[in-house]
Amino acid sequence: MPAHSIIKSIMKKIFLYLLLLALLGAAVGYYLWNKPHQNIQAASVDANVTAAQLFAAFEQDEAKANEKYLDKIIQVSGRIADSSTGTEGQIKITLESDDPLFGVICELDPLSEHKRTSFLPGETILLKGKCTGKLMDVVLVRCVEP
Amino acid sequence: MNKCLFFLASLLLASSGLIAQKLFTRSGEISFYSDAVVEKIEAYNNSATAVLDASSSRLEFAVLIKGFQFEKALMQEHFNENYLESDKFPKATFKGNFLQPEAIQWNQDGRYEIVVKGELSIHGLTKIVEIPTIIEIAKGKTLGTASFIVKVADYGITIPKLVQDNIAKEIRVEVKADFQPLPQKGNN
Repeated sequence: MPAHSIIKSIMKKIFLYLLLLALLGAAVGYYLWNKPHQNIQAASVDANVTAAQLFAAFEQDEAKANEKYLDKIIQVSGRIADSSTGTEGQIKITLESDDPLFGVICELDPLSEHKRTSFLPGETILLKGKCTGKLMDVVLVRCVEP
Repeated sequence: MNKCLFFLASLLLASSGLIAQKLFTRSGEISFYSDAVVEKIEAYNNSATAVLDASSSRLEFAVLIKGFQFEKALMQEHFNENYLESDKFPKATFKGNFLQPEAIQWNQDGRYEIVVKGELSIHGLTKIVEIPTIIEIAKGKTLGTASFIVKVADYGITIPKLVQDNIAKEIRVEVKADFQPLPQKGNN
């Protein structure tokens, strides 16, 4: 075979491999761009606490509590002080702490299916969610009943 | 919480006739919108706290950055890790005073357009801003809404060149707070 058509066939192969690589890259990029939010139900639990313990940790030393709990998946247990549904259907459950006014607010995950959406004050409940810090209450988002 | 209700009830009884009171919410809704060439991004947070003090004409609100929900998980990650560095700066806050406190008749139903001037702190940086706010008082309920623009660069937020056309340089922020009387610890 003449030399230049050997080169041509090698170049064709290189081109095809590069094309494949580019397509793979695009696929990975597309997946990342559209990757789903973390599955809370399946996520491993970083800490197991009571609402009173969690609130107290933030009350006593917010910086230390942030280091320990911020952005982590927390499983929190406590008595329901209050539950409310917002104007757009968002459900929040407030758990009692030792503080008479503030506690742990758990926003139910809008991306998950929930076994139930009505909660009675006085009930003890276990919730799993992501800790976002403390304003007046400690706030957990994306909560599910594990 | 029952103790809270009791104190609340006694406070209300004691202050019936008192016009000015401290109003509060822990379910403030804050959302922001980035309208850029390539993409529209929006995020919302439903657990902002806001305090409205009629007697001192002050408005304060605070929000936890990690509580903002985005449609795209990747954008939420970039927002927290790269743009706002929320591990270092978990909150954004605003503390301000009404420019014309006499404009509001607290004991009269009405829609009052005011400007609140104060310090807005985002990503560890604080700027003095003036936020146009609407206070609506109707049937014993007080609703506060505010809408303002945040210039991303003002708060040290750097957008990488690669995504410059995906994120607007000016972000529109909207705050909505349905106020309740502030629970008081003990009798004042």
